[in-house]
Amino acid sequence: MNPGSDDLHVLLGAYVLGGLSDEDHRAYSEHLRTCAQCQTELGQVSGLPRLLDLAGPAGGPHLADGPAAVPLPLMTEPDDARVTSLLGEVARRRRRRRTWLSGLAAAAAAVFFAGGAWLGPKLTEGTTPTPPTTHVAAAAVPGSAVRVDIALVTRGWGTQLDIDCEDMPKTGALALWVIDGKGHATTAASWRATATGYSKVTGATALRPNEIQSLEVRTETGKVLASAKT
Amino acid sequence: MPLDDDAVAEIYREHGPMLRRVVWRATSDANRVEDIVQEVILRVWKQAPEAENLRAYLITTARHLIVDQYRAAGRRPQQAQLVEVAEQDSALDRALDQVLVEEALGRLQANHREIVRCLYYERLTVAETSVRVGVPEGTVKSRAYYAVRNLRVILDEMGVTR
Repeated sequence: MNPGSDDLHVLLGAYVLGGLSDEDHRAYSEHLRTCAQCQTELGQVSGLPRLLDLAGPAGGPHLADGPAAVPLPLMTEPDDARVTSLLGEVARRRRRRRTWLSGLAAAAAAVFFAGGAWLGPKLTEGTTPTPPTTHVAAAAVPGSAVRVDIALVTRGWGTQLDIDCEDMPKTGALALWVIDGKGHATTAASWRATATGYSKVTGATALRPNEIQSLEVRTETGKVLASAKT
Repeated sequence: MPLDDDAVAEIYREHGPMLRRVVWRATSDANRVEDIVQEVILRVWKQAPEAENLRAYLITTARHLIVDQYRAAGRRPQQAQLVEVAEQDSALDRALDQVLVEEALGRLQANHREIVRCLYYERLTVAETSVRVGVPEGTVKSRAYYAVRNLRVILDEMGVTR
């Protein structure tokens, strides 16, 4: 018997799982030496046996005969009740978020007011206008749980960056990078991780707030923990 | 921008049961399962990630929440803590991978799953499997091929990339 190439190609499955006859095993090993497609596909699935071993000798509850070995006591409650409770929590957090956003709106009003003050002929002489501030909450990248809040304060010399971080790595060094419109990144602050994972530091950049395209908190190895577009 | 209510409810309906199974089997704490699952969905709501692979993102988020809770529960002011946490984490990672592999097997088409069971877990030959299942050997071989390919796709979707 001389099987065609298509027949050999399909042997990949039993080659990985086991169970091929000696004849088929030899034929497929031979085929594998010259077939680039099979080599690629084998590379993709060759890790499966190790993963399948994790599921234990019998492959877990889905492979067990009869009903699932592990009871799921959580499936009794009607799903709609859970959705309602989840959306209730969403609404609660959204309210909290609104409070925070209105704080931001107040800051925007301060910008407007301060602008007016500067245009006028020193009407407010003797008082220091509040520097315009924009708050940015940097979103943690997938796989990272850090929380970062950055206030961009407009200064005559550029932008002051007040950084509040929580749930950060507890070892190593961290840095805030500012990236301008051309994608050029510079460090605006660097600091040591703290044992509590919390830190409050201030950085500076010559860029003006409107020239900052995005902000990134990175580890010393360059791994991005959180980022925000302004 | 956070997602709207409909999007949250849809993610929850579509992925909630899978997340609940995974979290339940990884923590064995029925009281906490729903809290963790809801927190996972809430994080996704808040961050509206531009993740191509939402399932993997959800599972990774759940993994982090479970690890965090583990750490919070076991926090002790001892020098040895760092080592202990690392060991706990890798044990937990293994436990979670186990659950995910089992979950992936559960998502496999039934006739493919049967082939994986016979060839891999029961160590039967293709010929023996053919007799057991009652299909020609050629069918066993092609089912084994598609079982392996599909299992890889399912695991990739769950963020198990090893």
